[in-house]
Amino acid sequence: MDAEGLTEAMPALLRASGLQVSYGPVIAVDALDLEVREGSVVGLIGPNGAGKTSAIDALTGYHPASSGSVSFDGEEVTRMRPYKRARRGLGRTFQSVELFDDLTVEENLQVAADHLGIGRALRDLFLPIGERSRDDVDWALRLCGLQDDAERLPTELSAGRRKLVGVARALAQRPRLVMMDEPAAGLDTDESAELGERLRTLPAAGVSVFLVDHDMSLVLGVCEQIYVLDFGKLIASGTPSEIRSSDAVIGAYLGKQEVASAN
Amino acid sequence: MPTDVAIAPRLEITGLDAGYFGQPVVRDLNLQVGAGEVVALLGANGAGKTTTLETIAGLYAPIAGTIAMDGSEIGGRATHKLAREGVSLVPESRALFNGLTVREHLQLARTGGNDLPTDAVLEMLPELEKCLARKAGVLSGGEQQMLAVGRALVGRPHLLLVDEMSLGLAPIIVERLLPILRRVATEMGTGVLFVEQHVPLALQVADKAYVLSHGRLVLEGMAQRLRGESELLRASYLGDEAAEKITALPVGDRRNGDTEALPPKGYEEPSDRGAPDVGDGLGSETDRGTQHT
Amino acid sequence: MSSYILFLLLGLGSGAIYAILALGLVMKYRSAGVVDFGHSAVAMFIAYVYFGLRTEGKLELPWAILPHEITITGSEMGNAPAMIAALLYAAVLGLVMYLLIYRPLRHATQLARICASVGILLYLQAIAVLDFSSNPKSVPTILPDSPLHFAGVIVPVDRLWFAGLVVVLATALWSTYRFTRFGLATRAASENEEGAAVIGLSADRIAATNWVLATVLAALAGILIAPIATIQPASYTLFIVPALAVALVARFQSFAIAAAAGLILGMLQSEVTKLISVIDWLPKEGLPEAIPFIVIVVGMTLVAKGMRARGEIVVQRNPSLGRPSRPYVTTAFCFAVGAIALVLLQGSLRFALISSFVWICLALSLVVLTGYVGQVSLAQMAFAGVSAFALTHITGQLGIGFPFSFILASLAAVPLGIVIGLPALRLRGVNLAVVTLSAGLVLDSLVFNWTWFTGGLGGTKVGNPSLLGWNLGISSGNAYPRVIFGIFVLAVVCGIGLLVARLRRAPAGRMMIAVRSNERAAAAAGIDVNRTKLLAFALSSWIAGVGGVLFAYTQQTVSPPTFEVFTSLGLVAIAFVAGVGRIGGAVFAGIMMASTGLFVTFLNREFNIGKYQLLVAGLLLTITAIKQPDGVAANPPPPLVHAWKWLEARLFYKSETAQASSTVAASAGSEH
Repeated sequence: MDAEGLTEAMPALLRASGLQVSYGPVIAVDALDLEVREGSVVGLIGPNGAGKTSAIDALTGYHPASSGSVSFDGEEVTRMRPYKRARRGLGRTFQSVELFDDLTVEENLQVAADHLGIGRALRDLFLPIGERSRDDVDWALRLCGLQDDAERLPTELSAGRRKLVGVARALAQRPRLVMMDEPAAGLDTDESAELGERLRTLPAAGVSVFLVDHDMSLVLGVCEQIYVLDFGKLIASGTPSEIRSSDAVIGAYLGKQEVASAN
Repeated sequence: MPTDVAIAPRLEITGLDAGYFGQPVVRDLNLQVGAGEVVALLGANGAGKTTTLETIAGLYAPIAGTIAMDGSEIGGRATHKLAREGVSLVPESRALFNGLTVREHLQLARTGGNDLPTDAVLEMLPELEKCLARKAGVLSGGEQQMLAVGRALVGRPHLLLVDEMSLGLAPIIVERLLPILRRVATEMGTGVLFVEQHVPLALQVADKAYVLSHGRLVLEGMAQRLRGESELLRASYLGDEAAEKITALPVGDRRNGDTEALPPKGYEEPSDRGAPDVGDGLGSETDRGTQHT
Repeated sequence: MSSYILFLLLGLGSGAIYAILALGLVMKYRSAGVVDFGHSAVAMFIAYVYFGLRTEGKLELPWAILPHEITITGSEMGNAPAMIAALLYAAVLGLVMYLLIYRPLRHATQLARICASVGILLYLQAIAVLDFSSNPKSVPTILPDSPLHFAGVIVPVDRLWFAGLVVVLATALWSTYRFTRFGLATRAASENEEGAAVIGLSADRIAATNWVLATVLAALAGILIAPIATIQPASYTLFIVPALAVALVARFQSFAIAAAAGLILGMLQSEVTKLISVIDWLPKEGLPEAIPFIVIVVGMTLVAKGMRARGEIVVQRNPSLGRPSRPYVTTAFCFAVGAIALVLLQGSLRFALISSFVWICLALSLVVLTGYVGQVSLAQMAFAGVSAFALTHITGQLGIGFPFSFILASLAAVPLGIVIGLPALRLRGVNLAVVTLSAGLVLDSLVFNWTWFTGGLGGTKVGNPSLLGWNLGISSGNAYPRVIFGIFVLAVVCGIGLLVARLRRAPAGRMMIAVRSNERAAAAAGIDVNRTKLLAFALSSWIAGVGGVLFAYTQQTVSPPTFEVFTSLGLVAIAFVAGVGRIGGAVFAGIMMASTGLFVTFLNREFNIGKYQLLVAGLLLTITAIKQPDGVAANPPPPLVHAWKWLEARLFYKSETAQASSTVAASAGSEH
């Protein structure tokens, strides 16, 4: 309860209110309210097709919100383009990984860590501005255990390692909040547990985490606060133990009949 | 039943290694589907289920082993040729033609032989009737999946392969769709092999199930029995250690089939109906489910 | 008023030509996903076949050197039998071309397919010149052309017939695709190949059938164009540009729009011709050619949102990239080799070597744009041309001396590069290629036709560059070409090469490659995708501008034909098959490129085969596009690799033992 009180006082880093996302006539996310506080690990779960990725896309600017608003660090960002949100410290990963396959793992991270505008990048071509700092890249490589793969191309790595490169790339930007879209899909149980351990350390490094996954053990084990989405609507939110015992959540996952029979 | 022994199964896979670019994803798979039988292929993400279906359907050539339909080898033949010979795949992507109407899909799927008339398809999937003139691209996910299944039925397939029917669909639609596989098997004598994430539902519909883990068969048996063997299933999905860790989670129940759910209305338990007993190839052990090592 | 109508009706003739060619392009794209730059070349070749049959009863075969004529009747043939025979011939040719070229390329990149079709274009054009000479051949009329009086003007009836035929063909194609099982299957297979396969349709067979039909359509176009335009290799192949623009308006999908847009384009051009004669202040040259394309470029860019290029769903493969490991050492080495070659070679070969340096510079502009950022521009020669002509004005009227004139002139191409880069923010792939091609044509016909800017066909003289009174020019008295000029060009090109090599590993290069690999993910990494693309266009046009200025100094007289849009097409194609992601590819392209390049000059001098250059180039281009989709530089021929390793072991032995830590295993030969 004390911890609750403390976090209440912290300002919300990311806040969505009344967020609606639609694809043509289909409403993928409806009236979503959520917030992520600085230094927290927040989860978003829901069955397949519940609208989790649509929500991330709208929060990060990849799909326009049809109504509602998104603010990041107190700034209204609802209409801001994705790269600008990224520069303000809102990082993300993709469900389908989406690496730069022509760059080595290290370069994948470096390009995210560079934070260079076009003007400076151009000037560097003619008047080199010196080696770029590698601190963030090294930190992200170490955190994800990718040091040995730094010089390799992503295409040479297994699916699980590629997934980690995607996470590491988002972290190399030193975002204030990283939104992870199914980082554990395709990982085996051990890898998934290891990833969970690593995510837990992020708030201490100044990175808040917003985790979307359907690996329940990961989300329930790592997150302090969890939102549950079904058919685009928020059906529950709370701490892991509250979510575990929520009838609405069990119903969404098992189908109503089965709840009836279980009861 | 004794007569089944003499007749070659609809699908018989022996020693199959399947994968891409010569890299096996699935190793040494043995599997049978009899005529009129519904078989579930289960396993965690990346276990090799889709690879198996796609290899049977001819999208990839098998690396080793044989695939026989009705006793004749079909491994490595082109997909479009297999389709004309009665191997019908409903891919995970559904592979619909977004610019074509529902009616056009059903017309185009005709093989010129003993096809299922559009009326018969609509009788099985009445939801499609009201969208016959609409383009596939504007249908809802559930309607698209019904169209994908309907299109696959037009040629009265000998073998129907269905990949992840429930992907992205609400449970209620899945509960509506899965029993259709049973009907197809019973009415047309089709052998049905389907991949499904939703294990309890899959086990309600199937006669028999195979469970893959990391490309290898780890468990097989009659669906009826497997439903009671949640620990075995859990282990094959997650590995034994993980199974212990996860036990505390209520949501895990859904995957592992702990809750003995009521079967959806509209069909009966397979064994009660005297559906073809295909246990022969598996011996008496199938009655308890076989844990492969 | 009536004369305006007359011009509209006259325009129906060329409009029908664009429309009928565009119909075939749409067919090929819808069924096989190929944008066939060789489409009008096929039409041209079949027109010659028809001509041969009709006038002499001889069947022409698609090759040179070997016997290429078979006498059938030995005398004139009737129109109908000649036409039927030519169309059947086209069907066979279409099938063979599909099986040999486009079928193997079904899963290759769009650019590889375009390059193969450019190869076919060059090949057929070369065959036509060799076998039939480039003199125009006039063909007796086919369609009725008795004069018709209407609204006070004499209407050209054959054009009405032709336009009517186009409408009929478009309707027939539309209804075939709409209502027949074949059409349904074609649409299905183009939407989803896997979906077609699972219901028993062979996408390959469907594509082959369509390809044959489209080739017959091209043949019909070729034959019907002949009486209106006379058969002539260059003008026929040029029809591809308006036809592509029309097909683009139809989004390579709609037959109705293709037919309508083609006819309207023709009438618009014709009407502009009329307007020029009435309105004084309009520029006289090039406007009819340019105006419709300006409309198309601007219009297509604006409506581009949501436009889907076929094959975009499939993972887009990009040309492989090199990783220059020792840019400075390699550049120094290349400079030394180039300088030695300059001293050793004499006369025409030395000139050819210098020309090749210039082409290397132009190919390097594509390494940045197509290699690093994955954007296609078919307007590179226009950038070069603008800089070359700017140089004449900067040194001439403004009297600015070297090296400032050099820098200013090369920068003159940059604003243009950025403008042509704007469509790239909304278009991609084939659509972008066609739009830049159209933009190149606009510059070609408009800017390069301004006599005050270019000095007309004769061109403008360029003074020699001189630094502090030291003449760096290509000629001095009787000395020509001078080594010092070669060294100057070599130094500039090496500098650009070094820049492009450094770019590969610099932050700007990483941003570009990130954009090329995945725009969504690039944005997530905080990269401004649009500005990165524009930066690449700016950089690329500047490098092309440098190439243009060097060109001007080399040629001493700059004239518009050097920079025509087809040269851009050839440059892109050769740079692509040479390996557009690598500096080594650019070097290879520079040596192989054009009749002034080193390779052709050498062959011509030693074996006197210069006249077969285009034929061989076209053939090689097509074969390389099929066999080496990553470019020659990605997999150089083994003897070259061995030679380089041997050399590398001796040259770099010392420096590597000195700093063993910086050893990089990869062969710099294949990287550079």
